[in-house]
Amino acid sequence: MANSSAATPSQGLQRRFKGCSKIGEYEMMQKLGEGTFGEVHKARHRISGSIFALKKILMHNEKDGFPITALREIKLLKMLSHDNVLKLDEMAVERPKAEGRKRAILYMVTPYMDHDLSGLLDNPDVKFQEAQIKCYMLQLFKGLQYLHDNHILHRDMKAANLLINNRGRLQIADFGLARHYDEAVPQRGRGNGEAKREYTTLVVTRWYRPPELLLQLRRYTPAIDMWGAGCVFGEMFKRKPILAGHSDLHQAQIIFELIGSPNDQNMPGWSDLPGAESVRQFAGNQGTIASRFRELSPTGLSLIKDLMKLDWRKRINAIDAIDHPYFREQPLPMREEDIPHFADSHELDRRNVRGQKQALPPAPAGGTVGGGPNGEWSGSGQPPQSWQNGDRRYGGPQDRGPPGVDRHQRGGYDRRAPPYEHRPPPPPPGERRPNWGNGTDSRHGNLPAPPSDGRHPLPPVPRYGPDGDRRRGGQPAGDTYIPSYGNDGPRRSREPDGPGRSREPDDRPRRGSRDSGNSRDGHVDERPDRGRAYRDRDRDRERPNDSRNFARDRRDGRTRSRSPERRDRNRDRDGDIYRRR
Amino acid sequence: MQPSPLTNPLATVTQLETSGSQLDGIPTDLEDSIRFAGARLTQAAGMLLRLPQEVIAQAILVFMRFWVGPDGGSLAEFGAEQVSAASLYLTTKLSAYPKSARSLINVYAYLSSNPTTFANLDHLQQKPPETSYFVSEGTYERRRATLFSTEQRILKTLGFQIQVNLPYTLCITYLQALDVFTHPRASELAKRAISHLNTALLSPQMLYLTHQPTSLATAAIYLAAREVNIKMPEVEWWEVFDTDREELGFLCVGMLSVEGFAQQEREKWEGTRVPLDVKDLEAEMKRRSEITQD
Repeated sequence: MANSSAATPSQGLQRRFKGCSKIGEYEMMQKLGEGTFGEVHKARHRISGSIFALKKILMHNEKDGFPITALREIKLLKMLSHDNVLKLDEMAVERPKAEGRKRAILYMVTPYMDHDLSGLLDNPDVKFQEAQIKCYMLQLFKGLQYLHDNHILHRDMKAANLLINNRGRLQIADFGLARHYDEAVPQRGRGNGEAKREYTTLVVTRWYRPPELLLQLRRYTPAIDMWGAGCVFGEMFKRKPILAGHSDLHQAQIIFELIGSPNDQNMPGWSDLPGAESVRQFAGNQGTIASRFRELSPTGLSLIKDLMKLDWRKRINAIDAIDHPYFREQPLPMREEDIPHFADSHELDRRNVRGQKQALPPAPAGGTVGGGPNGEWSGSGQPPQSWQNGDRRYGGPQDRGPPGVDRHQRGGYDRRAPPYEHRPPPPPPGERRPNWGNGTDSRHGNLPAPPSDGRHPLPPVPRYGPDGDRRRGGQPAGDTYIPSYGNDGPRRSREPDGPGRSREPDDRPRRGSRDSGNSRDGHVDERPDRGRAYRDRDRDRERPNDSRNFARDRRDGRTRSRSPERRDRNRDRDGDIYRRR
Repeated sequence: MQPSPLTNPLATVTQLETSGSQLDGIPTDLEDSIRFAGARLTQAAGMLLRLPQEVIAQAILVFMRFWVGPDGGSLAEFGAEQVSAASLYLTTKLSAYPKSARSLINVYAYLSSNPTTFANLDHLQQKPPETSYFVSEGTYERRRATLFSTEQRILKTLGFQIQVNLPYTLCITYLQALDVFTHPRASELAKRAISHLNTALLSPQMLYLTHQPTSLATAAIYLAAREVNIKMPEVEWWEVFDTDREELGFLCVGMLSVEGFAQQEREKWEGTRVPLDVKDLEAEMKRRSEITQD
């Protein structure tokens, strides 16, 4: 086989990347905002015409190679499939044109969502009805239930990270801070459980940060996301963040003013937390939540109180929140398609006239802040460098922003609503049918249950444990996502509608741990119409003529195709770095 | 079909027919040798880094996936060693055991200071001089740059498909389902089955890229039970674990053949090194073409 060309293997043929498309396939439109690790642009796919959001992965902190936050987010999104979780369509590569710039720029391609909740609430032309709020909250809880049931903590729950489209669909976005949760998942009626191991407390944007994180609890649970959901719930009524603290201490103060000061009844163990000393001065508050949320019905008030319980063990979990009586009383949750389109409000223009806006405190920058790959501080308490950001509105100091970044830093999308589409929005992607009422997901129906714990409980392989060379030293197995249950496949395996795709009835036990299945055995759901409304609508929603099928087919074809003609060979020829001398 | 947490994306027929290296004119047998040596190198580096076998196995599979198919990486462009290092770095980064670039580069420098690829035990007992694997600051900077760029190329080539599902846990679950743990020699059986799974990682047939974890676990149990001489149910129990007879047979043959292959490789490369970087590979190709010309 060694022919003449074999003698000179380094002379090249062209090679293409599979699995990632080129950025040239997308036509960049306007910038939508800045995420934790990159800009977000709106873009049109040149062939299908569909609109996507492209999130650029910035490589400004390259000392650990490909950013761990981005890698985690990509990996998580590739494994997740839920109607209320933003889907990662693909990765697009922008190959550097100039010589010398060796690294390509990468974009995460996700469906374009018309608004984010924060921007929507900022828009004075948009008035939420209570039924609509209920619809959004239900979707949020379903998304959170799916995440928590799959051992994932989102850790940056906030209105700006909840994307909403003009079809009434809400999706949780920005998994830049998300991580695997090592503990048992929340179970019906049992709150959010307790964690056995420690995680970094440097998570969640301050206004949405729960009291236990402010008090530096390291063994936190999915309850931290539920607190954020409570803040979002209140925000939808008040149309502005309900707990806008301008420092961590102030944040704790206004929380305790709203909910009541911590004591051993409402927050057992609070005084043992590292941050407890500094908040003792706030004792004696009774809590003003009932008077502040007078517009809520008694059940609505009970829901927000359940979500904003100081005791993270008793805080309501997503499963129970979905079943809360609030969603069964009048006005009933609106159906997604009944939600009015918020078209033509030109909110962006108005904002530009208005000029100023209230800047959200920046999200913690995860791994990039901590320096290590794990985004954790070796100690508790304040991070070594608290960057002081002047906040235009409050003038108070802000911390935890990355240095040298403008104050508009925020996760996922800008808070302002993106401009509106005058054309009808793209149809829902066919391969992601709504699976409302399917519990979480139907695709695992014919497979054995995954191991009950998220991790491989496998003893026989040699296990040496974490070694000592971890940069931050001393910290046991760190703040790192541990894969265990991923579902993934290359593009080619994502056939639009495989024959084996089953849709199962609603009463199937939710996928997930065996424990969670058992725990539901004893539970009788007394709601006769639970999930019905959603399921009925699924039928209308399934549109076979998804315009994106074309793009997908093309993509599939491309990845499958051979590319024997490989011409340009301008790749990095720096393999010799690894050569021996 | 939607992906599941128990399955992996498998290589397609087209991908198995051609590889990037073949298109660059590298003979198949040489490619097999290099892949085998690269996988062993990854295993060795992972062990020196005190990584759990699950993490090492994932790294080996990322390494294997990289070379597959006409769009895959080519040995003419990437040295196996640099891809092995980047695969391991990438995998540990997402695992509970992240390793610094420095640790990784040190370990690879140590391993490549071995004068032969297939070192015998006596060889390993001798302590090599520390200067032979010292990585100076300048060298470190350069290697780290390569590590990061190779990491990116792996991500791109794999389309960010770095999630790997492994058969180890399944194997234990299946053994429990088969109720063999009541047997006094059950742990022997389990160890043997796990060994087969570890061996299959190195298979030149890339069994992990062509078969699902369920089948791999089943075949490993089948082989181990025969070797340890523990009786399995009389019925076709493998069917329960989504493996048909034909696949089981194929996998058993594939797993057993690794030993012979490894033996051949050892003889073939006795006293020399398998070319694990581009320069060595070019030298090897030159040597081969001179032999054919003579």
